[in-house]
Amino acid sequence: MADRTAGTIYDVGYQRYEGVRLGRRHAIWALYVHSLRGVFGIGRSLSSKVGPMGLAVIAFIPAVFQLGLASIAPVEVEVIRPEGYYHMIEVVLAVFCAVVAPELVGRDQRTQTLSLYFSRALRRQDYALAKFAALVTAMLVITLIPQVIMFIGNALAANNFFDYVRDEWADLPSILGSAVLLSSLVAGIGLVIASQTPRRAYSTVGILAAFILTSIIAGTIFEVADKDVARFALLLSPFHVVEGLALWFFDASADPGTQLAEADFRGVAYAIDAALAALLMLALLLRRYRRISP
Amino acid sequence: MTAAAQERPSGAPSPAATVEAVNVSRWYGNVVAVNDVSFSIGPGITGLLGPNGAGKSTILHMAAGFLRPSKGTVRIGSSPAWRNHEMFRNVGLVLEKEAVYSFLTGYEFVLLSANLCGLSDPEEAARRAVRAIDMEAAQDRRVGGYSKGMKQRLKVAAAIVHDPQILLLDEPFNGTDPGQRLQMMDTLRRMADEGRTILFSSHILDEVEQLAQNVLVIVAGRLVASGDFRAIRRLMTDRPYTFTVSSSDNRQLAVALVADESVFGVELGDEHLTVRTSQFADFTRVAPRIAQARGITLQELLPTDESLESVFSYLVKR
Amino acid sequence: MNATVFALTLRQFARQRRSLLLFGLALVPVAIAIIYRLGEHAHQHEETASFLADIVVTAILPLACLILGTSALGSEIEDGTAVYILAKPVPRRDTIVAKFAASALISAAFVVPATAISGLIGLQGVSGEGIVIGFAIATLVGVFAYTAIFILLSVATSRALLFGLAYVFIWEGLITDLFSGTRYLSVRQYCLGIADLIATVSEEDFEANLGGVEGLVLATVVLAVALVLAVRRLEAFELTGTD
Repeated sequence: MADRTAGTIYDVGYQRYEGVRLGRRHAIWALYVHSLRGVFGIGRSLSSKVGPMGLAVIAFIPAVFQLGLASIAPVEVEVIRPEGYYHMIEVVLAVFCAVVAPELVGRDQRTQTLSLYFSRALRRQDYALAKFAALVTAMLVITLIPQVIMFIGNALAANNFFDYVRDEWADLPSILGSAVLLSSLVAGIGLVIASQTPRRAYSTVGILAAFILTSIIAGTIFEVADKDVARFALLLSPFHVVEGLALWFFDASADPGTQLAEADFRGVAYAIDAALAALLMLALLLRRYRRISP
Repeated sequence: MTAAAQERPSGAPSPAATVEAVNVSRWYGNVVAVNDVSFSIGPGITGLLGPNGAGKSTILHMAAGFLRPSKGTVRIGSSPAWRNHEMFRNVGLVLEKEAVYSFLTGYEFVLLSANLCGLSDPEEAARRAVRAIDMEAAQDRRVGGYSKGMKQRLKVAAAIVHDPQILLLDEPFNGTDPGQRLQMMDTLRRMADEGRTILFSSHILDEVEQLAQNVLVIVAGRLVASGDFRAIRRLMTDRPYTFTVSSSDNRQLAVALVADESVFGVELGDEHLTVRTSQFADFTRVAPRIAQARGITLQELLPTDESLESVFSYLVKR
Repeated sequence: MNATVFALTLRQFARQRRSLLLFGLALVPVAIAIIYRLGEHAHQHEETASFLADIVVTAILPLACLILGTSALGSEIEDGTAVYILAKPVPRRDTIVAKFAASALISAAFVVPATAISGLIGLQGVSGEGIVIGFAIATLVGVFAYTAIFILLSVATSRALLFGLAYVFIWEGLITDLFSGTRYLSVRQYCLGIADLIATVSEEDFEANLGGVEGLVLATVVLAVALVLAVRRLEAFELTGTD
């Protein structure tokens, strides 16, 4: 029997980690991948996949519809045009963001695990950046893919695949540019709101209000007030901005009679507005994480 | 209910017993949390003992009607616990989760419980329950500011406010300091002496040993032993018993003891002998006789490993 | 109904920032109505009715009910405090009814006045034609139906918010627009039908897709079915998570 007064530490097989420490860049990458998987519920229970994946499928429906139409129509038809696509699915984008963003950043606040992240190689801004990048990527999945589906579908349905691609190739950078800009804007707004509170109900409703209510309010102001001044209200409504920037990227003009046509901004105004707003949101997000007490 | 026996062989029909499980299993998907458990307990304190993740909470949840057994039945009194919300007239429940209504004061929290039980004089019942766990000094502070141990005691107060015959407690001593622990043990003992049935879970052997006359040992979802733990120890015949013996001449006694066939190890210490034997009862009879024959005076003969800890580590590692 | 649970739920709502958010939501239509009145208008009936339909019934009403309905019992189930109510000899039916009554009461206290006030501002100066009363009653019915649905969701799933949002914005917002046959399963359409029934404006000014009597009957059926299902779910409530 061991002497009770003298202390002994038994080797029970615990091992220290002696491998390479990969450092900050790998930590950011790991958090990014983990977050992106989490958005779609990959590696989580089935019930956490249903929401985001279901919404993504809904966002694809118009593209698939156009695909089906193009394949059976004898002539080239484009019922659903790329410049109108985002406008068509804007509510889905908002609901997706409102469902996903609170999970992405709210969960760590709710379970009080932020301090664990911040005590690693990861810096506070890195955390914010990784989360932002993850949500932008997730939003790209549901903005970019349907556009690409439509492009390929239309090309396949055209009389000559290569002719179509040669004529319409300019759409590809437009698709990419508009999708990146719009995803950054939506993701930025969502994360700034979601990072303010750990409570899911607040941030979800807050995000939806930021999209849907501002759109309604800006629209009403535009309708009732002096157009020369009130048209600037549209630049504060994410939905209007999204609609406008798509028009600019695809070099289209707004349908007559719509608010966008009446506002008569040059398309580039929406794109610049979106870029500035996305940057502002990113700055606010970084500021939030610089100040948050984990 | 008060007439029920202290302990019964598991699985045997026992209508008067107050908490009874008959061939109960519960699985989550393909993970079996509780595997074919039967027991029956009556008035007094019973400890539900097992390592973390053994299935203690699952059993308590099923007893409280908050989980449907995948197989078998848990009965409270004579009716099944599942979906039987009326049973809470007679049952108090304390679960492990720490969450409380942080915006209520301690007194209001207990009063809430009293009101929900439909008591005729809820204020008086709440005051009595707060007094029973000695929380009067803090009763007008908000629960959100309570320490973990205070919350725990408050949860017990809320569970006993309607004077239940049966008390189910999941890790009731979590977060309590030694003083609070002793005080809560006193409260529980007093309630048991009044003829109530108390089933509490714990993974801390000390707590169970101090409080429970009766234990149910759960390992990996199975009930591996039940009853008085000293009696369980005596059933473990394949494991040697250790006694501490001191006498007027330890060295000579050691020589004599080694000669006996029930003894297979003697260690000579400074003050006493440590003797290992395979026969508990035999040794206690033989040792004095051997000593007497040699003219040695026996000063002490103590079983040293008849602790719950030795029983438990044996059962868990088997 | 259990008065203790009812009072507890009101206290839970009162102390949280939730009520501030609700207050903000209720102010939105009033603010929009004021902005609207800053301009000159020829079609006040039509514009006010469509404003009440598009903003109050479509967005404010379901959002307010969503916040309260999904958290009345849902947040307690999530954080584990529900046990203090459920481990008591209170019939689960009484618990559900009390939770429903408390959250419907608060939602109605915010949404119905917001409807009435913004409607009155919008119609100030012209004859009412029953628009304000119609929409006030419609939102009240809507509060009951939505709250019952969201309480059912919060008992039946841990993702009540997600399913609630999907119902309001995807099902009612998109699907019902595309396939009019689904209007029988949309609380929004019930509300509009009821408002249309009571208001006496001409069809050009405001016209619902669903008859008002149908809307009222369907809303009652939804309310009853949702509450009955919620009670049944709560009676078989299981604590998840092992030890």
